[in-house]
Amino acid sequence: MTCLRLFLSFMKIGFCSFGGMTMIPVINDEVLRYGWMTAEEVMDIVAVAEMTPGSLGINCATFVGLRTAGMAGALCASLGVMMPSLTLSMAAAHFIFRLKDNPYLESAMRGVRPASMGMLMAAAVTLGITTYIPGRGIAWNLVGIAIVSGILLVKAKLSIPKTILIAAILGLLVG
Amino acid sequence: MKRYKRLLEIFYVMAKIGLFTFGGGWSIIAQMQNEFVDKRGWMDEEQVVDFMSLAKSFPGVMIINMSVFCGYAMEGVAGGVAAAVGLSLPALAAIAAVTFFYSSLRDNIYVAKVLNGVRSVVVPIIVSACLKLKKTAVKGRPAYVILAISFVVCAVTGLNKLILVLAALVAGLLIWKGEIGDDLS
Repeated sequence: MTCLRLFLSFMKIGFCSFGGMTMIPVINDEVLRYGWMTAEEVMDIVAVAEMTPGSLGINCATFVGLRTAGMAGALCASLGVMMPSLTLSMAAAHFIFRLKDNPYLESAMRGVRPASMGMLMAAAVTLGITTYIPGRGIAWNLVGIAIVSGILLVKAKLSIPKTILIAAILGLLVG
Repeated sequence: MKRYKRLLEIFYVMAKIGLFTFGGGWSIIAQMQNEFVDKRGWMDEEQVVDFMSLAKSFPGVMIINMSVFCGYAMEGVAGGVAAAVGLSLPALAAIAAVTFFYSSLRDNIYVAKVLNGVRSVVVPIIVSACLKLKKTAVKGRPAYVILAISFVVCAVTGLNKLILVLAALVAGLLIWKGEIGDDLS
């Protein structure tokens, strides 16, 4: 019963949000309503989500699920939060493929592609500000790690997982 | 049999990507480009760029949306499911472990240092993806205008990405009107 409720709650969270921090208020509403967690624990999730790979949505779902109903709860909640992707995005992917060689779709996508790049560049800037200027002044040690790993990535063509591991080691030394 | 093997490989590669997705998930773009376009040739660079903005503008988790789009592009519905589940499994395992040790991890200085290092590498990863995808994504002068507008809108305002994508879609239709050629100004 708890598993079903977890699934439905997180499905609602998935459909009502657009990923990242926009999920927090919706998650707050749902988990507080059922008394699954306290507001303080919700802030803990954000911290845990930062410590682990993966998106905030999946991480929250797993964390809440585990706390309330163990591994089964974690699976149900995660599946719930994946539902919009498995339905809406899947349907959209299907239509895009049927229209693949349509010149109008291609025209429209020529407009969307540069907008995508704009989004990605803006994400780099926003994320850069929060990462390298945390509170007081510029964190030069982190900027240094970014420059070293950037060179490894672009010039030395090192793979992303390896670059992340090196950055983690550098973090341990100077972070 | 061949299809079965490809599904398994999609699942495995996505699990690997899932293990190294920190900082909001944008770094997944670079990893998918690398694994599925460069290494395997199972997708076009255009598809990666197309799906990126769609994934962000659909409800739900961006990186799961992205997985479904790309998985579908490679192996249909089964590919989409394999990619989404593959991406989520490492997160599930990691969360289970971290939750268990949470109180001791929270105040550990070395954990904080490692995370600082990992967080610092996210921006270079995103920038490398920008550099790689730029040629495919931005063709012709009007495209640079759209790029600039989108960048400013995203960096300065919290406008819903769906509205931005729809506006760009209409702009694309009005500018290119279904006449596609590579001889663009």
